[in-house]
Amino acid sequence: MASAGGAAPFWRAAGMTYITYSNICANLVRNCLKEPFKAEAISRERVHFSLTKWVDGKPEKPTVRSDPTEH
Amino acid sequence: MAMAALRREGRRFATPLLSSPIRSSLISHSQEQAPNGVRSISTQVVRNRMKSVKNIQKITKAMKMVAASKLRAIQTRAENSRGLWQPFTALLGDSPSVNVKKSVIVTISSDKGLCGGINSTSVKISRILHKLSSGPEKETKYVILGEKAKAQLIRDSKNDISLSITELQKNPLNYSQVSVLADDILKNVEFDALRIVFNKFHSVVQFMPTVSTVLSPEIVEREAEAGGKLGELDSYEIEGAETKGEVLQNLAEFQFSCILFNGVLENACSEQGARMSAMDSSSRNAGDMLDRLTLTYNRTRQASITTELIEIISGASALEG
Repeated sequence: MASAGGAAPFWRAAGMTYITYSNICANLVRNCLKEPFKAEAISRERVHFSLTKWVDGKPEKPTVRSDPTEH
Repeated sequence: MAMAALRREGRRFATPLLSSPIRSSLISHSQEQAPNGVRSISTQVVRNRMKSVKNIQKITKAMKMVAASKLRAIQTRAENSRGLWQPFTALLGDSPSVNVKKSVIVTISSDKGLCGGINSTSVKISRILHKLSSGPEKETKYVILGEKAKAQLIRDSKNDISLSITELQKNPLNYSQVSVLADDILKNVEFDALRIVFNKFHSVVQFMPTVSTVLSPEIVEREAEAGGKLGELDSYEIEGAETKGEVLQNLAEFQFSCILFNGVLENACSEQGARMSAMDSSSRNAGDMLDRLTLTYNRTRQASITTELIEIISGASALEG
């Protein structure tokens, strides 16, 4: 897992940001919990929002990000 | 009792004369009974208004209770989330007056209305920031969270909007959601400095509009050469196999995610608090309105009784004398 000095970590080279990396790690930790706490923890990572990109003052079609788990 | 009997007598006089439908009879009833040239509101109209104002008062009172309970739930989370960005500010400092080419203003607002003036203040601050950070080579864009700010900023800054995000509060707010959002923003927008505008929750009646600045790693390097807090970064030892640039990049992304999470929570608290006070003043206004309407209603009622009495008595005296 340790990379050579100066080389980018594997996830950075794959195009992920640090945020995505830490979210995936957090997801793995949450999945390690035992049952009653696991359900609570899974409920804490629900994602829902609707994103609209704007080009030249015009909104494009909104994309709804609604994953129950990390992407 | 006597008044009621006299009123019934008056009615027996009046109703055979009027055979038109009830509402117009009531209106022309009151118009006939008053002396010429004086207009009086029908009691039925006033009674309807009183009923609707009372309903509105009940609804706004209920909304205030709901906002109070939501506020309690979210307030502890917001205060706990302040601990997320404090280490960053201790390490990197907060420099709102940094001079950058590309700045992106992230405006946090609510999706629902009826929350007082907090969204307008956020939009006002965003516009001021936009003006401050625009210049010959500089470019400023907006990223808008929430419907209310979008509605206001569409009117005059349509071309400067880069992203707009809605439906954020459909599920209870959590870090995963905000971090995915932060990730999307980082992927879609180029920035030298991100300025996050939100209303910080100080107390139930006080919300201060706040701006938090997150610098991109390149700008951190540039400012580090200028000295100050960022210049001390070199005195830290870097563990692991990463270079300073990479560490700064990770830190910048994580800082943005934490600050955005805190901003969203604080803004949600402020929204509920502002809604509480807005609904409270609305109930109070409704109560005042109800008092005034009751006075008008009683005055109208007494005036109509008095004119009935006058008619009866003048009719009786005309028969006698």
